[in-house]
Amino acid sequence: MALKIVVLIKQVPDAEEIFIDPVKFTLNRSQARGIINPADENAIEAALKIKDETGAEITVLTMGPPAAETALIECMGRGVDKGILITDRVFAAADTWATSLTLAAAFNIMDDFDIIFAGESTTDSGTGHVGPGVAEFLGIDQVTYSVNTKVEGKNVIVERSLEDGIEVVNVPMPVLITTLIGSNMPRRSTLRMKIDALKKGITVMDHEKLKLPPEWVGIKGSPTVVGSLKIPDEKKREGKKYEVEEIPKLVDDLIEKGAIKIGDA
Amino acid sequence: MVELRGCDPPKNLDEYRDVFVYVQHKNGKIERGSLEMLGMGRELADKLDEKLVGIMVGSDLSKVAEEAANYNCDTVIGIESPDLKTFSSVPFSHFISETVEDYKPNIFLLSGTREGRDLVSRIAIRCNTGVAADCIELDADKQNRLLIAWRPSFGDKTIDQILCRKHRPQMITSRPGSYKLPEKNRRKEVKIDIRKVKVPDKMKTVRVVEFRPKETLDLTTAKTVVSGGFGLGKPEGFKYVEDLAKELDGVVGASRPVVDLGWIPYDHQVGQTGRTVRPHLYVAAGISGKIQHLVGMKDSEFIVSINTDPDAEIVKYSDFYIHGNLYDALPKLTEEIRKRKSGSKNKV
Ligand SMILES: Cc1cc2nc3c(=O)[nH]c(=O)nc-3n(C[C@H](O)[C@H](O)[C@H](O)COP(=O)(O)OP(=O)(O)OC[C@H]3O[C@@H](n4cnc5c(N)ncnc54)[C@H](O)[C@@H]3O)c2cc1C
Ligand SMILES: Nc1ncnc2c1ncn2[C@@H]1O[C@H](COP(=O)(O)O)[C@@H](O)[C@H]1O
Repeated sequence: MALKIVVLIKQVPDAEEIFIDPVKFTLNRSQARGIINPADENAIEAALKIKDETGAEITVLTMGPPAAETALIECMGRGVDKGILITDRVFAAADTWATSLTLAAAFNIMDDFDIIFAGESTTDSGTGHVGPGVAEFLGIDQVTYSVNTKVEGKNVIVERSLEDGIEVVNVPMPVLITTLIGSNMPRRSTLRMKIDALKKGITVMDHEKLKLPPEWVGIKGSPTVVGSLKIPDEKKREGKKYEVEEIPKLVDDLIEKGAIKIGDA
Repeated sequence: MVELRGCDPPKNLDEYRDVFVYVQHKNGKIERGSLEMLGMGRELADKLDEKLVGIMVGSDLSKVAEEAANYNCDTVIGIESPDLKTFSSVPFSHFISETVEDYKPNIFLLSGTREGRDLVSRIAIRCNTGVAADCIELDADKQNRLLIAWRPSFGDKTIDQILCRKHRPQMITSRPGSYKLPEKNRRKEVKIDIRKVKVPDKMKTVRVVEFRPKETLDLTTAKTVVSGGFGLGKPEGFKYVEDLAKELDGVVGASRPVVDLGWIPYDHQVGQTGRTVRPHLYVAAGISGKIQHLVGMKDSEFIVSINTDPDAEIVKYSDFYIHGNLYDALPKLTEEIRKRKSGSKNKV
């Protein structure tokens, strides 16, 4: 029997295109292009590599607005078999608790699975909590910050990148694995497979289908709330310009301002 | 079938008291960010008139619990078993959650290391509470016994205030390096409470088969960081970056593209998906200053950039800017500093 893998992905606004409205002091995200969260790119690739080697059936799962469908189609264009979109107005403004719950609920509808991949964190909220949160609801093991995953029988051997080294762990499936950003080179989709994906379509689920009461999810089901927002004070920097010939003068200035210390002075 | 439930708040918030800090440790040493949280935890506890409790998990805790007690704790709780020698999410989160549900702390702080981030979400879900991640500033509202947490979002373009009004404990992870290290001080009445536990077999599924230590490069505590970017054009260019770093007793940093290209290991990467540094002096050579790099270094005390392009974004974030080719500027800067050093020796 082929392995069953689920990959959790999120569409995020491209950080370079977000700007702050200087009058209303709010973030303008609407104009930013949606991209697949960078760490999730690596999660998808990790799953596809296992499919290349041992064969596997891969499902990508996302909770987001209807427009997130494009991210699912992109994944299917790379070799993912199925796409599921969880979308409903009541899910809006969910924190990581409510997001984890909502994603976990989808596993009551899907078939059994062997591995779930998630990214280490997202660039728009960047907590890294959703992967472990889903694992907690499902009551399964987790391995975070992976750079490499190998399947061996009923177990996986995962290399985790920690602050002080690489830890190699052996864990039985089912397991949730989060992937480190940059841990592999994501492949590109092909137009042909994307067209096939569009023909095949994706599955859509809402709160009724997931049997989730509205007060459990979205902003209502979220224990944390965002209070006020502030714009960080930027230190004013002079940007004093020196040509290469003026480096001796620069060094004088660096010493005078205390940026570098020469001797014990 | 997965058992589902909403995040029901506790009926009586007043039952929840005191500040928990997760004390991460390895080889008998407490992780730096956990020390920062013990310092911050003490400040919050004093503001709220509550106690500071360090909580740790491991196989042989007596020494390291003594060490934690030296940082102004009122109590240190240790959860000990030979089966808890290496970190594993399920048993660690299980025993910590049990302790939390039993003790009912008001606040729970964890350092945002890989271990801290791995644990926090499972604990929060078990205990029916929320987490603010990666906080850079914390304060307390005494009247409402509320933790006020500030965290950056969207590449640090804004800082959001996160509140957890109805659920307890109020949990956060910190961004390590964002807080002061506390002074050692031992309270007379400190209590050390080591609890021996038995790990159920079903929680012993994760086996560590190997650990390959890497040379630890501590970018976050370095006083000087000299970074090279894509402007180097070739991996050999790092030689000039290293020369300057050596002359300044600093460490070498890098932007992401040169890490992705394999010119230098990931540990050197500064930025959103690398390390956040705030050294006394940061030198950026051949780095354009994209937002994802800036968030990792813009709080440095002094910033010097070297770039051929006077319109590069990094120039606006620099105190000093060298307009020119880094292959001319770096050796010249290194040489000039070397000259001053030998000059100062000659004077003595
Ligand atoms: C989700 C996400 C996360 C990211 N995380 C990070 C991160 O953690 N860290 C990070 O750094 N980036 C990160 N990036 C990438 C970031 O957006 C930029 O692409 C990157 O910082 C650019 O690196 P650079 O400045 O070295 O290269 P470039 O932008 O190519 O800049 C090179 C600079 O060198 C100058 N130059 C060229 N030749 C010379 C010369 N001979 N002498 C002097 N100057 C010269 C050029 O004028 C230019 O300004 C991330 C991107 C994304 C999407
Ligand atoms: N809305 C979502 N839908 C599907 N997966 C998600 C969603 N939000 C987060 N994830 C997954 O959880 C990981 C961590 O996200 P975060 O906790 O937001 O940093 C991401 O990299 C995704 O794999």
